[in-house]
Amino acid sequence: MENKLKRYEKIAFLGEGQFATVFKARDVETENIVAVKKIKLGSRVEAQDGINRTALREIKLLQELHHENLIGLLDVFGHMSNVSLVFDFMDTDLEVVIKDNTIILTTANIKSYTLQTLKGLEYLHLNWILHRDLKPNNLLVNDKGVLKIGDFGLAKMFGSPNRVNTHQVVTRWYRAPELLFGAKQYGTCIDIWAVGCILAELLLRVPLFPGESDLDQLTKIFDVFGNPTEENWPGIKTLSDFIDFKPLPAIPLKSIFTAAGDDLLELISSMLVLNPMARKTCRECLKMPFFSNKPAPTIGSKLPLPQNIRKVADIERQSLKRKLLDAAEGGSLSKRLFI
Amino acid sequence: MRQSLDLVCMTLKVKVPMAGRLCFYPIMAGNFWQSSHNQQWILDKQDLVRERQHDLAILTEEEYQKIFIFFASVIQTLGEQLKSRQQVIATATVYFKRFYAINSLKCIDPLLLAPTCIFLASKVEEFGVISNTRLISTCQTVIKNKFGYAYNQEFPYRTNHILECEFYLLENLDCCLIVYQPYRPLLQLVQDIGHEEQLLTLSWRIINDSLRTDVCLLYPPYQIAIGCLQIACVILQKDNKLWFAELNVDMEKIQEIARYIINLLDLWKSYDEKKEIQGLLGKMPKPKPAPQR
Repeated sequence: MENKLKRYEKIAFLGEGQFATVFKARDVETENIVAVKKIKLGSRVEAQDGINRTALREIKLLQELHHENLIGLLDVFGHMSNVSLVFDFMDTDLEVVIKDNTIILTTANIKSYTLQTLKGLEYLHLNWILHRDLKPNNLLVNDKGVLKIGDFGLAKMFGSPNRVNTHQVVTRWYRAPELLFGAKQYGTCIDIWAVGCILAELLLRVPLFPGESDLDQLTKIFDVFGNPTEENWPGIKTLSDFIDFKPLPAIPLKSIFTAAGDDLLELISSMLVLNPMARKTCRECLKMPFFSNKPAPTIGSKLPLPQNIRKVADIERQSLKRKLLDAAEGGSLSKRLFI
Repeated sequence: MRQSLDLVCMTLKVKVPMAGRLCFYPIMAGNFWQSSHNQQWILDKQDLVRERQHDLAILTEEEYQKIFIFFASVIQTLGEQLKSRQQVIATATVYFKRFYAINSLKCIDPLLLAPTCIFLASKVEEFGVISNTRLISTCQTVIKNKFGYAYNQEFPYRTNHILECEFYLLENLDCCLIVYQPYRPLLQLVQDIGHEEQLLTLSWRIINDSLRTDVCLLYPPYQIAIGCLQIACVILQKDNKLWFAELNVDMEKIQEIARYIINLLDLWKSYDEKKEIQGLLGKMPKPKPAPQR
């Protein structure tokens, strides 16, 4: 235990969420850079509950999941209720990329990010796991342009028809309409809706449906797709929080995404379907023409990154090169590098 | 030497209400083949022999097993008192067995580890957090009222001990928390055979009993389900030979599993836990008294 506290050397503070604080750290055993997520100690009462349930959920699921496009859990350490999880270090996330005006997102770039997201998500769904909290902020990207889905604190096994779920999941802007109507039984389609919203955001560079309340969220969705009816969404009136909206017409997606090609519009309109049963699955989405048409998705190393990260990555690469050269010439660093 | 099975069936001991049967959490839904259970926690008989060397220098193999039978009952009783589902109880028992598969009994007092396993398993299986106050008070009542024959003293542990032990358990499990159980494959098998209530009930109980052997450490759950089903068929004198023959499984493994369970049933016939257990617990290797914090 003591060893593990020493094993990870804090380098920088990365961020703070509701449940955890995240640090960039160096694993002194492997020299790898990692992200250490320290779960916040809750109240005295919560501390009595032992290892935090959100952390346990992440540990138990990530221990079983291994995919290029899912964040990898490397280690867990701590003492009593005080838990830290060690993850692959990721340089940035899609929220930062989207908000960075100096980055230009071409169709090929968007294709690459969407493709990687869908591949990771397909693997999750094949393993009967719902992510339940997809948003740009949870799609992590490293300096090699690899996207990994992160934050499994809300993820859950699904498949039992008699199990009631909470509909208070997914950050509101990415929340599917059935959740906003209070559905307690839902499936993979809620994650697909979220990916649809993220894809839209990659194009628009602002959230597609930035609702200010649950009701406002539904209004913003129906402003685009028209309001749902028993015809296009059978059974909608049985949802517990259903309310009738005044009839609204749908507007063509082309008028919102003016720069998008037909194949991309087709993909968006397969994910953002009001009726969850009519939404396409990950696998179906991956088979759509958008992914096989030109242009090919940008390769990882060519994906645009925020400038500070690109710079740091270049400097690190150069300095490593220099160190290696020094070492080859019998420089003083050789011992440390080659022990 | 071994007596016929219809005699031993009288010794099937654990009674678990069947009502909860169909609503357990679908943890089996994931992919067993790629799971940590399959890749890390199907152990070798040799592994067990090697890791138990220290304990088996002090206890005979039979005594060692009797201690684990006892603590499986402690976990079962605690779980029932806490109204946990069988899924939680089974997972907790597997955690307990995995811990001691790689540690000596002197590493942690099993009386502390048993409730800790229930505590962790209940969270992992999403059946909610058992409040520590409730857990400790249940331990106190259960030890006093149901296992008084084994312990003269009160349950000695407090919340802090459980919390400290929980983390230690998590580490020793190498963070592998999802455990696959034979119950779901059993349901599928019985359905295939032609759903028979009696057969299901009996096989279900035999699976519960199998937690008192090492099979959950040595064989994948679907094989254990088949092994238990086979014993149930013999006990109920159902001739399903043809059906078993058509299963595409390694029948040798199934026979090994059956042998473990029949040995257990044999052991139970001549074993009076109430008389022997106190002596065994006294003989068991124990942790050094913890330093004062």
